[in-house]
Amino acid sequence: MPRFLERTLHRLRALILRRRADASLASEIALHLEEAEREHRARGLSAAEARLAARRDFGGVALIEDQCRDMRRVAVVQSLLQDLRHGLRGLLAQPLLTIAAVASIGAGAGATAFVFGLASELLLARPTARDVGALVNITLDRNSHVSYRDWRALDESGVLAGLAGYHIEGSITVRQGEGTIGLVPLLATANFFDVLGVPMALGRGFTAAEAAAEREPRVVVISDGFWRQRLGGDRQAVGRAIVVNGEAYTVLGVLPAGLKAIPGFGLAPEIYVPLSRGVLPGLDHPHAAAAQLVGRLKPGQSVEQATAALDTVVQRRHLEAPDRPMRVGQIVPVTDGVPGMGSIWQFFALLGVVGALVLGIACANVAGLLLARNTVRQKELALRAALGASRGRIVQQLLVEALWLATLGTACGVVLMAVAMAALGRVPLPLPLPFELSVSLDWRLFGLTLTMLVLATLGSGVLPALQGARPSLAPALKQVERAYIHRRWTARGLLVVGQVTISVGLVVTALLFVRNLSMAQRSNVGFDTTRTLVAQIGLVENRYTPERRVAYLQDVVDRVDALPGVERAAFAFGMPLTVRHGRTSGAPIGIAGEPASASVQAHWAENIVGPGYFDTLGIARRQGRDFAVADTAGTPRVVVVNEAFVERYLAGRPPIGLHLMLPGPGHDDDYEIVGVVANSRYRTIGEAQMAAIYYAYRQRPTDGRVLHVLVRVAGDPAAAARPIAATIGALDPAAAVDVQTVGQSLAFAFLPSRVGAALLGSLGAIGLTLAMAGLFAMVSYSVTRRTREIGVRVALGAPVGAVVRLVVGDALVLVGIGLVGGLGAAAVLTPALAGFLVTGLSPTDPAAFIATAVFVVAISLLATVPPIRRATGVGPLVALRTE
Amino acid sequence: MGKPSDLIQGTLDLLILKTVSLEPKHGWAIAKRIQQVSQDALQVTQGSLYPALHRLEQQGWLRAKSGQTETGREAKFYALTPAGKKQLARELESWDRLSGAIGLVVRDGEA
Repeated sequence: MPRFLERTLHRLRALILRRRADASLASEIALHLEEAEREHRARGLSAAEARLAARRDFGGVALIEDQCRDMRRVAVVQSLLQDLRHGLRGLLAQPLLTIAAVASIGAGAGATAFVFGLASELLLARPTARDVGALVNITLDRNSHVSYRDWRALDESGVLAGLAGYHIEGSITVRQGEGTIGLVPLLATANFFDVLGVPMALGRGFTAAEAAAEREPRVVVISDGFWRQRLGGDRQAVGRAIVVNGEAYTVLGVLPAGLKAIPGFGLAPEIYVPLSRGVLPGLDHPHAAAAQLVGRLKPGQSVEQATAALDTVVQRRHLEAPDRPMRVGQIVPVTDGVPGMGSIWQFFALLGVVGALVLGIACANVAGLLLARNTVRQKELALRAALGASRGRIVQQLLVEALWLATLGTACGVVLMAVAMAALGRVPLPLPLPFELSVSLDWRLFGLTLTMLVLATLGSGVLPALQGARPSLAPALKQVERAYIHRRWTARGLLVVGQVTISVGLVVTALLFVRNLSMAQRSNVGFDTTRTLVAQIGLVENRYTPERRVAYLQDVVDRVDALPGVERAAFAFGMPLTVRHGRTSGAPIGIAGEPASASVQAHWAENIVGPGYFDTLGIARRQGRDFAVADTAGTPRVVVVNEAFVERYLAGRPPIGLHLMLPGPGHDDDYEIVGVVANSRYRTIGEAQMAAIYYAYRQRPTDGRVLHVLVRVAGDPAAAARPIAATIGALDPAAAVDVQTVGQSLAFAFLPSRVGAALLGSLGAIGLTLAMAGLFAMVSYSVTRRTREIGVRVALGAPVGAVVRLVVGDALVLVGIGLVGGLGAAAVLTPALAGFLVTGLSPTDPAAFIATAVFVVAISLLATVPPIRRATGVGPLVALRTE
Repeated sequence: MGKPSDLIQGTLDLLILKTVSLEPKHGWAIAKRIQQVSQDALQVTQGSLYPALHRLEQQGWLRAKSGQTETGREAKFYALTPAGKKQLARELESWDRLSGAIGLVVRDGEA
């Protein structure tokens, strides 16, 4: 390696110091000549004769100088520079070809870079923090969150340089002018800013000393977005008070714009509040999921050392209190991305493959254009070869042209990607937290760009370069084009077949995801989404005791019920298929009166609902009864289950009247099954059918401050939203109320299908467009070359139909082969996509395959129309004139 | 004096490396030295000498320094690098093998 380095340095020096090297060579040779001359004179020759003799002995000075330069390998670099200049001039002289090629590569590279940028932003963004390389995400056992006490104990153990916790699943209300809005805050442990070292645009972060939960801190840090939108970008914002959950909190600091927040995934919390009972009730509960842990390693501490040290602390605590976590789950550097996102990684891997294929199609386009260009400039290439250019030299020259196109194209692609990312950041998404995307120009993007550049150069340049350097001097120089010889199996034809094959695969994939979206939207979620509304109510904490909350909710339901057009209303803790869908649980379930050994391990979705919930949402009641107003604290506990629960866990026992032993806080409680309802979807649209348990809200008023009121109306639900919101708002002006139709509330549930369909749909469209551009270019070119042939045929009386067949026939044969190959390949490969599709949609969905075939053939025919028009317009005179 | 025999192919490198291994020399001196030591039997044509010198320098076996000739002229002196020394040893060894082998073949049956 050092040898190689030395040589390269030498070569480089020779190149840079070319003048000096040449001068030194000249003087070296001059010295030689002088010495030779001196020797000849010593033998008695005259001065003139001696000089001549020396020269004669030496041979051609210029030739030897050249050979010496070659030995220094300067020539290679010099000729490269020459080719770069020459190549650029050549491309500028053919702006159309250049634009087409650059646009092609730009589209392909842009698509790939976009996918990459998105993945890098969502999954791998480096949070903005001091010395971010030392920050690690920490989990205990298999839980994402730990309790507040666990965090405190681990932090106080001091085995890390610092350990902070945060929580982004809560909800707070913020007074905004006359109204109140609900926000998802980032609740942080008091030491959050101390440990992370997040930079501030204004003011400062809260410190561990002032923000300890016990002190009930009333301070917040706000995001740039919050500052601009809600405080009007006030430079004096620091020190201002804002009303959070009905109490005044002081703004301590404003975060800078473009900050990448610690939760990753492009999420940008608007407000950072210290964890306290005021914002997270049940903070002191030993099992409450209070905080996700993020720690800072001590200088020099490795992840393994930190894991071992923390594990000791965790295990000691577990020995003292067996209900505490047993082990450290995992410690992962935050720069390694958000953990537990396996399926999203897979999705991005799929997108990456698709992006690369689009880039491949683009390269094939450019290769096709360059091949066509080679034929046009055969004479030039032949002349170069005749004048002594080696084959390697011509290959180099042609590759350099491809390098130019690839460079310009890739640059275009990266710019396109930045524009697309910025545009995407402005698309409103149904997410609980604001979402920000920004492209970071880091080494990852640089590496990708470089890789794409090399691939695009080779992909579009190698074939034309090798073909162009194939020596066929005589006919080329004689300017004889093999005009009447028509070959179908040209390199370009094969390229088109390849393009069609790949784009067929892409279109199948894209259509599968589009079908997936439409099936998801039409899929039966198990409840009525057309005539129902849902009001999300965020109550101010500590204003309601559980009893008062039940009374308040009953009041809301009664008043909404009285509104004109309202058929039924009910309250519930969770709203299915939204972010707050309730909970999912898993535990052994026993049946009262049977031995404990008969208990079965069950997994279910649960919700806590009021009377009328099922009728309001249109969930059919199969057996037994609904909850009643009489099911209240003090009466025997009751539950309603769904059919899947009965089938799965009750082993044929008649459900009604059965008493279940269900886990409660600390011990198992006895619940009687009073009703069975139809199955529905709970968490996600594509989920496998889940068992479900509904508890009676009146018996189990939750700690949750965020609740839902469901409303069924007779007419258009959208029109009913405003009066419902006004009615609810009038009851407690401090509550944050957000009314949507149930259809709107499902936007979040459809988001994955939508994103999948949008991304793969656009990639598929780009791929197909590029492939069709390639087909169009090839057919056009073949018409141009066959103008004479067509003219002669027409002159001899060939009907229009024959000419059309002549042109279309070839194209269709190529498309047909590509189509069959592409569909075959897709049939083999798409089963790998099964995990992304809703149940009920086969990865080899015949509709997607047939639609692809029809679509591709139709578009191909369309791409051949302009060349055909030109071909049929060829008159014998035109044809002869081109002779 | 007969016509100087052409250099056996591939031996020029060996001759140059050997010649400069004693002391750094400039191009002319290298050519002269080879001619003298071989008693005019070997004559290096300038056409091949200088490209060879530049190639050996490029390969890192020779290093060029400027110095003064006996006549007081500024000239480029070539010296052996450590890598060149190793290369010389390798070339000498393969030369010994080759010349020994050729000797065996051409003297076959004479003894």
